Amino acid sequence: MNKKKEIFMISAFTENSVWRQILGICSALAVTNLMQNSLVMGLGVIFTLALSGFTISLLRKYIPRRIRMMVQTLIIASYVIIVDLILKAYFPEISKSLGPYVALIITNCIIMGRAEAFAGKNKPFDSMIDGIGAGFGYMLVLLIIAFVRELFGFGTLFGYEILGDWWTGWSIMIMAPSAFFMLAILIWIIEGPLTTRKK
Amino acid sequence: MGTSRTDFKDTRFYPVIFMILITVVFIGVLATFYYATEEKVRGYQEENLKQMILKLFDFPSDNIREDYQKYIIEITLDEYDYSFYRAVQDSVNLGICFPISGSGLWGTITALLAVTPDMNEIIALEIVSQNETPGLGGRITENWFKEQFRNKQIIIGKNIIKFELIPEEEKQKDNEVKQITGASQSSKAVVSILYNEMRKIASLIGFDYE
Repeated sequence: MNKKKEIFMISAFTENSVWRQILGICSALAVTNLMQNSLVMGLGVIFTLALSGFTISLLRKYIPRRIRMMVQTLIIASYVIIVDLILKAYFPEISKSLGPYVALIITNCIIMGRAEAFAGKNKPFDSMIDGIGAGFGYMLVLLIIAFVRELFGFGTLFGYEILGDWWTGWSIMIMAPSAFFMLAILIWIIEGPLTTRKK
Repeated sequence: MGTSRTDFKDTRFYPVIFMILITVVFIGVLATFYYATEEKVRGYQEENLKQMILKLFDFPSDNIREDYQKYIIEITLDEYDYSFYRAVQDSVNLGICFPISGSGLWGTITALLAVTPDMNEIIALEIVSQNETPGLGGRITENWFKEQFRNKQIIIGKNIIKFELIPEEEKQKDNEVKQITGASQSSKAVVSILYNEMRKIASLIGFDYE
């Protein structure tokens, strides 16, 4: 039990994919102007990471080394398409607002990274926990950035009005450049003042 | 037998056979998912289209199915495989809505164009689907861009108007449309689609233009 918890904590925080490894930045920048989109994107990535990790780990002894990346891509892409179909069928509004980004989860480096670094060498359930952890760490970053961007950009959180009518939205927060600033500030805070890591 | 299995794994056929098998399995799973959700997705798309048509003419759309039946008449030109929509309220003809489409920068842009019954003036334009660059060309779905077309003359006399594009900050004249900064190709695509599709529609319904 403790080992599983450790795997989760390491992949979610200690080795967080975004602020430690700077992976998955593209989508972290793209969808973070609304909390709701970030949450759905995060859940989609968790789902894909968990199941692709599990599947790749399950097949790890049979996957020929030379074509392992092809196989990983196939597995990852399949799960992403499943996420896309589920969103289209049951959450059409969200699917529409996320647009092409759901399909682009396929190219999210975190997933391939975890497949190579963890799932290919560890047991299925451990790999699943690792995937959930990495996805959780990713979602956390998305939500923190989206919190600031949506609050200052629209004056709302999850679409609920927080700041009221007097608030003038900062249009820079809605546009992509603000995500660069926010992400950089976040990484600086976590890796700087907040971390007393000794190297 | 154990050794022969290891031997087979070392042959060059193994990766090929493995890849074929795993592809078949995953495609099978995906196909199942696709067929299981297909009807729901299509149902939603139809509903979405109906709602858009209602909104173009400012009809209520709280009860999409009923409102659609009440206000919209679908007309299909069988020989061209093309449908358009007539908006009617209290037997007064309010306008016509034409589905239009054409190529954008990355993919097909489809839209709905609502015009007055005499087809001379645009009532509203709505983008149904597009694959333009998010944040740049994708902004063709933003209200300020679409609203520019409202009340613009698209046919004057026998001429179909092709709108001119001008930079975002300039003041616009009747036949001008502000383009999206950083997305001139997508802006151009919308204007071309309007012009080309109007010409096509005009010839379909037998309108005599120059």
